[in-house]
Amino acid sequence: MIQIKDLRFYYPKSKIILDNITLDFIPGNIYGLFGKNGEGKSTLMKIMTGLLFPKAGYYRVLGENISGRNVKCLQDIFMVPEDFELPGLKISTYEQVNSPFYPRFSRDQFYKLIEEFKLSTDENISTLSFGNKKKVLIAFGIATNTKLLLMDEPTNGLDIPSKSQFRKIMALAVDEGKCIIISTHQVRDLHSLINHVVILDQSKVAFDQPLSNVSEHLWFGKPRRDTKESIIYSETSFGGKAMLFREDRDETEVDLELLFNAVLSESNRINNALNTFHDGTI
Amino acid sequence: MEQFNIKRIGSFIYRDIILLKGAILTTLSVASAIFFIVFLFSLRGDHQISSGEFMSIFGKFYIALGVLFIFSTFKEAHNQKSNHLYFSLPVSSYERIAAAWLSTFVVYTLVFSILGFLVGQITIILGSMFSETNFHLLPIFSESYWQLVKVYFVIQPVFLYGAIAFNKNRVGKTLLVVVLLVFGLIVLNMMLFGMLNYGYDVFSGEGLASEAFDKTGQDFSGMGKGFFMGIFVPLMLLASYFKIVEKEV
Amino acid sequence: MDFDDSKPIYLQIVDFFYENILVKRWQEDERIPSVREIAVMVEVNPNTAIRAFTYLQEQEVIYNKRGIGYFVSENGYNKVLDIKRKEFMEELLPDIFKKMGLLDIKFEEVKDSFNQYLNNIDHEDK
Repeated sequence: MIQIKDLRFYYPKSKIILDNITLDFIPGNIYGLFGKNGEGKSTLMKIMTGLLFPKAGYYRVLGENISGRNVKCLQDIFMVPEDFELPGLKISTYEQVNSPFYPRFSRDQFYKLIEEFKLSTDENISTLSFGNKKKVLIAFGIATNTKLLLMDEPTNGLDIPSKSQFRKIMALAVDEGKCIIISTHQVRDLHSLINHVVILDQSKVAFDQPLSNVSEHLWFGKPRRDTKESIIYSETSFGGKAMLFREDRDETEVDLELLFNAVLSESNRINNALNTFHDGTI
Repeated sequence: MEQFNIKRIGSFIYRDIILLKGAILTTLSVASAIFFIVFLFSLRGDHQISSGEFMSIFGKFYIALGVLFIFSTFKEAHNQKSNHLYFSLPVSSYERIAAAWLSTFVVYTLVFSILGFLVGQITIILGSMFSETNFHLLPIFSESYWQLVKVYFVIQPVFLYGAIAFNKNRVGKTLLVVVLLVFGLIVLNMMLFGMLNYGYDVFSGEGLASEAFDKTGQDFSGMGKGFFMGIFVPLMLLASYFKIVEKEV
Repeated sequence: MDFDDSKPIYLQIVDFFYENILVKRWQEDERIPSVREIAVMVEVNPNTAIRAFTYLQEQEVIYNKRGIGYFVSENGYNKVLDIKRKEFMEELLPDIFKKMGLLDIKFEEVKDSFNQYLNNIDHEDK
């Protein structure tokens, strides 16, 4: 539904930020977009929202081209940026002036979410803390019911109870027609929500796999001493966690931090392994 | 008409006005207070506000505040922290330009004229109650009023362009461009005149030159106005459109 | 819900179901929360919740009434009891035996501890 092909981006007189990016986002999923700082996560999100224009490549949302900030395309995209300012309006006024632009906006849903976040519609946004402003924008973004919802570090600035609220709300928000992409460093906050991982490294897509495929073929944990040969990546820090080929071991939960570190150092080996399994040749 | 929807333009103008509500109300209140004081002074002596008196104060505010309004509506587009939400809003670039023109020219001119008229009329009514002023309607639609609106009509798109194109010191840069533009046009006009009226030999005899300059006024004023109104304004709006289309955050 | 790092989340949701059935919070033939409700309750992706539901259906612990929802099977309680017993005997006990060997704990000691535990419970009940 959301297709990116051979996309390339660089700022004038600067090194390439995104190179040969090819991704296909399918509705009904929550994608985790990971990468070290400055690897182009936010840039990719801005391109996908029509805020930056790719230098080359193809990008379509439901077959619509976003170029020239096509209204029909923008009506299906909402992004919650990492850092933002909202106008000094009452929450209800903010909704009134911005919602008419989104044809599938649900006021019921918005006010329910505001209530769930324990905010009052009469509050002026300018008096809210940054975390609460973020909640207003997240609620608005979900209520727009766009096909594509992008969130850049959504849990930054949220306190611990709010993070739990956020996860509940996202579990409720995702449905068959919606594609959610979350970029984050706070892997632990969002681990249970994400079901597909995309990792950007050195301006390229280093990893793009559904977690079901990862947990089917890879094993995470503290290995016994006799399993040296199937270790793909291990950390020497306390605990000595490692990533192994699963073989006939019991399925384990994917350790996203470990997977991320492993991909940064061994991306070819991991991708080859997963892709071969995927093709069914092993 | 996916990319051009009247309702969406209306919503966008409404959004702009609500976002700037505080600033607009403050500015209009201050302007009203100043108008009121100046009008009170106008009433002294002849007990009436003439159209000249009205225009002298109205004219000073009308263009300056209009320009301020134009720049305010595009403030959101230049703020690093709000431009994401501004540009990702599903409003096409045509609609953005149309909305900007409607709000900062049409709506603004209407509202500000009505405000000027109302303040003047109230001053007259108050005057007729507490002094020897006779009630009369404030004559605002004078020739100089329409002249002023025409001037604003022509320079409004230039400032619109400047408000979109420049990131920093937007007002200053735009003013500079306007000065250069006007200067350039004067030089162009003189050159054109010199070429077209070569026969007059304008640059030799003094008498002939002054006659020639008189002729410039006559021959070119109509054409010049046509050029400005018919071509220059749409061209500037088109330029603003392209500027907003290619704008990235 | 706090998740154990190593066990797949869907299996942890399955355990959550088992517990609810064993303590009779969810009775047999009683309707249980929907996939979406469970996903929100435990804060997971609905796809993960679906996997747990599918697994439980395969184990015949729950069943689906089309258009109405999911229910605990007629003999769901016994099914869960069997599963958890088997898990205890085949997974938990061998681990404990291994640890006993490592720490040189005799079976008699464990038996004494167990009897003491039973006594304590009796006292608490009185």
